[in-house]
Amino acid sequence: MNIGLNEYLILSALLFAVGFLGVLVRKNTLVIYMCLELMLVASTIALVAFSRFNGTLDGNVFVFFILTVAAAEVAVGLAIIVALFRKRGTVQVEELNALKN
Amino acid sequence: MAPTQLALLVLLLPLASAAIIALFLRRQGALASYLSVGVCAGLAVAAFMLVFSNQRFTAAIDWMQLGGLTISLGFKFDDLAALMLVIVAIVGLAVHVFSLGYMHDDGSRGRYFGGLSIFMFSMLGIVFADNLFMMFIFWELVGFSSWLLINHYMEKQSAADASKKAFIVNRVGDFGFLLGIIWCYAALGTVNLGEIAMKVQGGSVIATAVPLLLFCGAVGKSAQMPLHVWLPDAMEGPTPVSALIHAATMVAAGIYMLCRLEPLFAAAPAALDVVMWVGVITAIYAALCAITQSDIKKVLAYSTLSQLGYMVAAFGLGRLSETQEVDGGKVKVLLLAGAGAAMFHLMTHAFFKGLLFLGSGSVIHGCHHEQNILKMGGLAKRMKFTFATFTIGVLAIIGTPLLSGFYSKDSILLLAFEKNRLVFGLLAFTAVLTSFYMLRLWKLVFLGKSRSEESHHAHESGFSMLLPLILLAVLAIVSGWPEVFDREIFRGVFTELLDGRYHEHGHHVVLITSLSVVLVGALSAYFFYRSEEKDTLAVKVPGLFGALALLKASPDEIYNYYVAKVQDRFALVINFLDQIVLSRVIIRGTAGFVGLLSLGARALYVGSLHAYVYWFLAGAALVWGFAAGIF
Repeated sequence: MNIGLNEYLILSALLFAVGFLGVLVRKNTLVIYMCLELMLVASTIALVAFSRFNGTLDGNVFVFFILTVAAAEVAVGLAIIVALFRKRGTVQVEELNALKN
Repeated sequence: MAPTQLALLVLLLPLASAAIIALFLRRQGALASYLSVGVCAGLAVAAFMLVFSNQRFTAAIDWMQLGGLTISLGFKFDDLAALMLVIVAIVGLAVHVFSLGYMHDDGSRGRYFGGLSIFMFSMLGIVFADNLFMMFIFWELVGFSSWLLINHYMEKQSAADASKKAFIVNRVGDFGFLLGIIWCYAALGTVNLGEIAMKVQGGSVIATAVPLLLFCGAVGKSAQMPLHVWLPDAMEGPTPVSALIHAATMVAAGIYMLCRLEPLFAAAPAALDVVMWVGVITAIYAALCAITQSDIKKVLAYSTLSQLGYMVAAFGLGRLSETQEVDGGKVKVLLLAGAGAAMFHLMTHAFFKGLLFLGSGSVIHGCHHEQNILKMGGLAKRMKFTFATFTIGVLAIIGTPLLSGFYSKDSILLLAFEKNRLVFGLLAFTAVLTSFYMLRLWKLVFLGKSRSEESHHAHESGFSMLLPLILLAVLAIVSGWPEVFDREIFRGVFTELLDGRYHEHGHHVVLITSLSVVLVGALSAYFFYRSEEKDTLAVKVPGLFGALALLKASPDEIYNYYVAKVQDRFALVINFLDQIVLSRVIIRGTAGFVGLLSLGARALYVGSLHAYVYWFLAGAALVWGFAAGIF
């Protein structure tokens, strides 16, 4: 089987769908967060594939930036989740509705 | 001192006095009264220096720039203004001094004298004003001070009502005045008095409505028909106020304003005719009303109305062209006879009517505030000085020869004789009525026996009240004499005046008429009225008395009917529109609709992360659909 651009894009789309569904259905903030990261990574796969098949380095450069920013984001996001857990004793989203009213 | 500075001093002195009294001296009545009288004396001296140094000038500063319209504040000090300034200063001073005695026991003297000072400031502003906008500002200020002073005895409901009535009726006239000013600006491009005169004489066509609307202001302020109803009611104020504001100066401001705008009126003869007839009707109507009045001040109030009608009619008679012999040749000249005669009568009237009102103040003061002439009588013996001066006033107003009223009334009658015989007849008839009701008043108050406790114990007033009476009595005698009243000083007003010098043919008829009307009116009143507690006319000819009383009451009845039946119902409809349509349907309705929307929007805000993600998904789908061209 010859692996072309389409296969890479399908993989990327599937990963993205898994991530998105996870965000939709899971209740635990930590899991939602991991799903978000999954969506991010899925998009980087698509970028790398485009870069490879176009023969340019643009997509790869994008990916480097995305990874860097995602790392910083993870540091902040995890810290927020830990702080949230310490404060409220839970990270289930249905219990985190203090902003309402 | 430069004349402009002197004029500023005259104008601002009373304002300073009013400000000091309002800020610091409201509880110190004595101090306030001395300050106010002192300031008035000071301004009178300054005014005399200004007038008799024979300097005439104009000066102005720009105040506001509104697009093409520049509103300026300025002085136009010509002979007309000089004459008016002298009148205001003399009568003002007399009334201030008189008030020292009359208001001595009043609890709120501070407010009273503060009011007098603010009135002097406003009135002088009208005298000096060089453009219509400035005049309008001070026009409203005299209205305000008039309201303040009528309302002096504010614990009395009638006084409060009268002050409101005066203010509201004046608003009606002032609205027309303001419209006239705006139209004048639109038509001529200027509101400056000098420029208006130049443009009109330069041949600018002016719509008849412009002078008529401006005349509305004079109808309100000078209490002409049909807006005369406020003046008799305004007698609720203290008597010196009636003398100053409602007889001598403020109500004459309307005539003064007309004379300031004489060229504008001369350019619209139709408007001038209207002015003349309004004056004639007011003169006769008020004279008829005065016959039935039993309140001493109301008789004088209607008399004032009648005399103001005389002046307005004189103004309405307009210019007169005639041939004069100059250096041997005959020259045709145009005399500003109407304005001249109106101002002449304004001057003499200010003095003798001021005198009569102050005299009535002295009578009221002496009779312990009894105002009903049917309850007076026999005061000639008890109040000798008041009697003597009041008699001079009566003789002057009915036009006894050699007294001031004779000359001024004569100049009006002569002009009417030349221009319009019908008006001449009506004005002569008014003169009969004038001497009739004045003699009635005089006889009932001073002759016979006293008819009540109050008048039986009447006492002569103090020195501060007699001094102004004597001053005004002297002026009421001499102010008509050409020799005494230096006409060179007021050349611009009086050289145009019509008197016997030029008109030999008409003069005998007029002279005989004016003498006979005085005699007929005076003698019939003297022999007709008896010193009784009931009005002789009401007893002997109740039908006529009733008709006259009805005549007097009917304008008030008509206005009451109009206000109750027309205006109030209209207001009801407007109120319904405001309350139901505007406030309920439009304003509350809009708010309710937005509230309903927000109710829906609030339902979306659930606080659950998942709900937001679904909404986000829906939004993304929407954007995708839009980008894909599905919508």
